[in-house]
Amino acid sequence: MKTAPRADALPDGASTRIAAPKLRLEGVCKRFDVSGAHATVAVADFTLDIAGGEFLVIVGPSGCGKTTVLNVLAGLDAPTSGAVTIDGRAIRGPGPDRGVMFQDYALFPWHTVWGNVEFGLRHGPAGAGLDADARRKRVAGYVDLVGLSGSEAKYPHQLSGGMRQRVALARLMANEPDVLLMDEPLAALDAQTRIILQDELLRIWGQDRPAAKRRTVVFITHAIDEAVFLADRVAVMTSHPGRIKAVIDVGLPRPRNDATRALPQFQALTQHIWSLIRDEAYRATVT
Amino acid sequence: MSAAAASPATGAAPRPWPWRGVLLPLAILAVWQALGMLGGNVRTPLPTRVVAAARDLIASGDLPWGIAQSLGRVFLGFAVAALIAIPLGLAMGAFRSIERNVDPLIESFRPIAAIAILPLAILWLGTGTAAAVMIVAYAAFFPIVVNTVAGAGRVEPTLLRAAATMGLSRFATLRTVVIPAALPAIGVGLRIGMGVAWTAIIAAELAVGAKAGGGTTGGIGQMMFVFYAYSIELNRIVVCMIAVGLVALVLDRAIRLGMRLLMPWAPRP
Repeated sequence: MKTAPRADALPDGASTRIAAPKLRLEGVCKRFDVSGAHATVAVADFTLDIAGGEFLVIVGPSGCGKTTVLNVLAGLDAPTSGAVTIDGRAIRGPGPDRGVMFQDYALFPWHTVWGNVEFGLRHGPAGAGLDADARRKRVAGYVDLVGLSGSEAKYPHQLSGGMRQRVALARLMANEPDVLLMDEPLAALDAQTRIILQDELLRIWGQDRPAAKRRTVVFITHAIDEAVFLADRVAVMTSHPGRIKAVIDVGLPRPRNDATRALPQFQALTQHIWSLIRDEAYRATVT
Repeated sequence: MSAAAASPATGAAPRPWPWRGVLLPLAILAVWQALGMLGGNVRTPLPTRVVAAARDLIASGDLPWGIAQSLGRVFLGFAVAALIAIPLGLAMGAFRSIERNVDPLIESFRPIAAIAILPLAILWLGTGTAAAVMIVAYAAFFPIVVNTVAGAGRVEPTLLRAAATMGLSRFATLRTVVIPAALPAIGVGLRIGMGVAWTAIIAAELAVGAKAGGGTTGGIGQMMFVFYAYSIELNRIVVCMIAVGLVALVLDRAIRLGMRLLMPWAPRP
């Protein structure tokens, strides 16, 4: 059962390089020195270009270095070797051009929903040039977009997991960064909430708009169906050390919706990606 | 039908007697009174005599005035301590280099009890309010600074990362993330600090009063010393002890209430 059913037009191992990428990772290596004695190679020789307006999903078994790749793009971790660029400029640290949505949401517990969404505009460079009125309009717009109107005065501890996730998404969007980096944002949610928020995420990202008007998204997940549903391309990673095993063009038509999940191509792609990481996933589970 | 069966059961359940909590204390007071009346002398403190002494001390205004005097010094010393300890603690928690340099200094002074610096305080500042304030500030400083360092040093790392990815400067992050994240710990430090400040003021006034030879401006600690060393009124000393405990309770509740109002997001202390 090693040979997976292969859908048509799956350029496996297609070139990871494109012309004029938004983001470029070139030969990125990240080694963590644990107390000097034992070094762990989290990511090795990771080369990938991400186009402007693209929705790229990185999928792989837990511990494969997905988060490390995202942190390198965010500028939160510096690569041990290799180059990372945005619009051709080297990434040297975090910046407001790249917004991050963290797996645990990282909401400020002392701020209400409103205060959290407003945070970057109020205290960071994203709000420069916005007067109080414009800022209020922008915050209200994104609070409304994620469906949290009426909950503005609530604190994070008063919200459900799904609502917290929406707050984090609204905060990310309100800063209007060029690039959205999302680290398993839906992982902590139940299956139904997850499906609903996948649909909403695509709507908020702007799948109805022409590709040139969309923001660039790098999205991490371990859920294969989620990856196929959301992505323009799926980068499949394997672990120890984390490497790209395949980059897969999804090619499903947009806008995508519930009907997309029932398409034979959707099933075939899901199966195919699972076959790429199955052995490793089993190994990771057993050991 | 289960509801019908349950309702007589709840009706029959013995309702806790509202005064059950005071039974044991009342019994102790009764035993104290009986033993004192049987085997004591004219000076032996008895509950009845303590109540009479309390009535006298309150009516004469001595007790309220003494408490007010002591509270004034406590608030002054506490404010001095907080104004130094909170900024210092935040700086230590936020910057490893500062913490490494200052921490050994603080930890080597911390075991020295406030009462042990009394001789220095009296020599430098005399036997008045200044010395008492210094002792209070010294005592309250340590719990506030230690808790502030802990709060500022253990900010959730992803919150700091979130601020960094939104492009906040280091100073803006300190102001908008580190300080609010440290507030609950600072609140704990202030509560403990107020407790030891109030303890220290009694000790300071006992000793400061000893040198001054008593007076009406010595606060409650000095009142106790006068009742002990000059007029030998044990009932009045007991009144002072009870007053000290009650004031401490009120102060602690007030700080807790203030923290809750200031931090509606935080778990209840």
